[in-house]
Amino acid sequence: MSEQIACTHCHLEFKKSVMIEDGENYFCCNGCQGVYHLLSDEGLDGFYEKMGSTTLTPPTQQYEDSANFDAPAFYDKFVKVDNDGFHKVSLIIEGIHCSACVWLNEKALHKMEGVIEADINFTNNKATIVWADDVVKLSGIIDMIRAIGYNAYPYDASIQEAHANAERKDYYLRMTVAIFATMNIMWIAVAQYAGYFTGIAQDMKTILNVAEGVLATPVLVYSGWIFFRGAYYGLKNRVVNMDLLVATGALLTYIYSVYITILQSGEAYFDSVTMIITFVLVGKFLEVLSKKNAADTLDVIGKNLPSEVTVVKNGETTSCNLNDVGVGDIVVISTGEKVLLDGEIIKGNGSFDESSLTGESEPIFKDVGDKVVSGTISIDADIYFRTTKDFQHSTLSNLIALLESAITKKPKIEQMANKLSEYFSSTILLLSFATFLGWYFYPHSFEISFMVAISVIVIACPCALALATPVATLVGLSLGAKKGILFKEAGHLETMAKVDVLVLDKTGTITVGKPEVITEKIVKEFDKNILYSIVKASKHPVSAGVLGFIDKEEVQEVVLEEYTQIASAGISAIYNGYSVLGGNLKLMKQHNIDISYESDNTLFYFAFNGEVVAIYELRDKLKEGAKELVSNLAKKGIETILLTGDHTKTAQKVADEVGIKEYRAEQTPEDKSLFIEKLHKEKKMVVMVGDGVNDILALAQADIGIVMGSGSDIAVDVSDVVLLNDTLKSLEDALKISRTTYGLIKQNLGISLVYNAMTIPLAMSGYIIPLVAAISMSVSSLLVVGNSMRIQLKWKKG
Amino acid sequence: MDSWIIEMMLGASIFLGALALLAVLWAIKNGQFDDKEKFLNAAKFDGVEDLNDAVDLQKKKEQMKKEYRPE
Repeated sequence: MSEQIACTHCHLEFKKSVMIEDGENYFCCNGCQGVYHLLSDEGLDGFYEKMGSTTLTPPTQQYEDSANFDAPAFYDKFVKVDNDGFHKVSLIIEGIHCSACVWLNEKALHKMEGVIEADINFTNNKATIVWADDVVKLSGIIDMIRAIGYNAYPYDASIQEAHANAERKDYYLRMTVAIFATMNIMWIAVAQYAGYFTGIAQDMKTILNVAEGVLATPVLVYSGWIFFRGAYYGLKNRVVNMDLLVATGALLTYIYSVYITILQSGEAYFDSVTMIITFVLVGKFLEVLSKKNAADTLDVIGKNLPSEVTVVKNGETTSCNLNDVGVGDIVVISTGEKVLLDGEIIKGNGSFDESSLTGESEPIFKDVGDKVVSGTISIDADIYFRTTKDFQHSTLSNLIALLESAITKKPKIEQMANKLSEYFSSTILLLSFATFLGWYFYPHSFEISFMVAISVIVIACPCALALATPVATLVGLSLGAKKGILFKEAGHLETMAKVDVLVLDKTGTITVGKPEVITEKIVKEFDKNILYSIVKASKHPVSAGVLGFIDKEEVQEVVLEEYTQIASAGISAIYNGYSVLGGNLKLMKQHNIDISYESDNTLFYFAFNGEVVAIYELRDKLKEGAKELVSNLAKKGIETILLTGDHTKTAQKVADEVGIKEYRAEQTPEDKSLFIEKLHKEKKMVVMVGDGVNDILALAQADIGIVMGSGSDIAVDVSDVVLLNDTLKSLEDALKISRTTYGLIKQNLGISLVYNAMTIPLAMSGYIIPLVAAISMSVSSLLVVGNSMRIQLKWKKG
Repeated sequence: MDSWIIEMMLGASIFLGALALLAVLWAIKNGQFDDKEKFLNAAKFDGVEDLNDAVDLQKKKEQMKKEYRPE
């Protein structure tokens, strides 16, 4: 046995005999060797020290010509010019494994003449590059990234994403100021409270007041700015919102405290000013943090589409930009390729996977004269087809356009806390005003009346109310994440808890999505090595099913001759002079083999030397727990509906098996989306569960779109909730978590309202001293946070 | 105890605190905390050479900003 040795560049281990020896170094391929020398020449070999024992992907891939990146159309779309005249692009770098990779990419780019800035985010592999375009072109930058063994593709860093990041950062800054000031005011306040009970000289009190005032000012002006802005826009739209309450409370308290400080008598409330603003700001920040970044969705759709297709022009095949292909052009599609344009086959035949459009699991055979549809994938077809539409009008473009509009039109559910806070805010403001009038005309001085009125606002400060929803949802979100359920936005928990109808896709959602062997019938003893070799070479789902059934420990691959895949029939080959066939009934009939075995399920026949030796029955199995899910949902009063692109017969069979009463078969993606719209018109809250590209319209349309983690990238992006472990159990968990969380939100709101209802009368009658106000505020907030933590306990109990 | 001691102590501590706060705000604005992993790794790995590189890059950037006049 030869010794295993690690490649100097990528650290993958291979036998010493197959490695390229280069002085003291060993490389697994020319790519690694090339990169290694490039890095040493550029003085970047510190990379290997930094990367430690991480392994890399060897840079063997061949890329299309980078000159495409210099095309004006590309610059128009992705490159922006900043105020200094520098060019800027956002890229996603592929192949980043560790921090050393980030270091290497940044270093290599920084060393380039003309590159001003290269900043790569390790967490999401997104890079921003700024360069002087007349010194170096974008293609040069891309070539450099590729030369050191990575790849980059552009994404449109839309305004939306930049906006979301800027908003987050803005909150972060304001919160830092608020928390800093609150923490410092607190220790000054301790001195004041002590003084309140034990006696304190007025001049000392004034010093403390001034210090507090200095700290409270930036909080009110800078951190509190958000509330003033919110209150202003609210008033402009004639809405009394929570921002108005916070803004009025904080501002009036501040003015009063300044007045007290100058007057040098009475109690100042600067600590309340900062506390109100800090608490509510933290609540708001939590909300901003858990907002979904919708901007990422469309990047991935763009990435999944190749930009070029192979066309036949003047008898020669050349590659051509997708947008330049006109109606009537001839396009070549080979095995495994994605069809990007609609057309009609003029040469060749083969099977297509149309599941992305129809959801049908069976491959569809197409011959000359048949139509091919964009968005489908060739399984084993090598064809020439004449386009009937250009890309802008193709089925695929149409689907993308529909999707974009569905995402923007998604119904927005008004969250309970928002509605509540509106009533709450108006009530408190009115009560405070009434208190002032009451005290003023029941003769008291202006100062006392004003102070009592303010104490009403301060004590009713909606800190607990502001924290009620975000804290509960955050706990719910983290519990979900632990169970492999990703809620992309906090609000989805609340929406999901109110669900009336659950719409399920069939393939991949309640069934496994891949045919599996359920029975094996051996007619005559045979060599399993031959069967293994024949199915291993085919990508057809049925072959894959049979392959999965064979115990790999017991078999070995053998050499077959004349291996041919016969479209929509099976495989034929020769082994040691004997004919070997594997496929369906059609293939057997073509070779004049008679079979009497019949079944409702898909059958795979294996014939050796003109005789059937084994029959495999395959079926798309139901996922575990499908039945229980449907019956449990029915108990909770949630209606389940099955929606599938498959035939009525198949749909009915599956629906009967799991106990779903209502089903719709032969649904196109548009049909599915229309069906959901119909449910919306009946005022129903719809959750759609799916996995494929054929479900994306419906997923985007539904109130909540849930997708299985193994689903297509686009579906995962469009959805609101992702079930990472693909099980139906986690779907049930997701519903349970959302309901528990919603229950807690309601409790939290209840707690904060009851708390306020108890303390407000005290404040109105003038019994609230600053200490009580401060303690009350903290205690109500703590109660809400503590109550939210109960979700963990509740969950453990079941 | 004279009240000026309290005044001085309060003033000095608020001033120093404010300086630290400004430094943190500057770092946030500058994007130094944007990428958690990178921020931590920088603390772990960056040596003299990396810091020099960062300074050189800053100089290169300023130089280019001065000279670069796109048409």
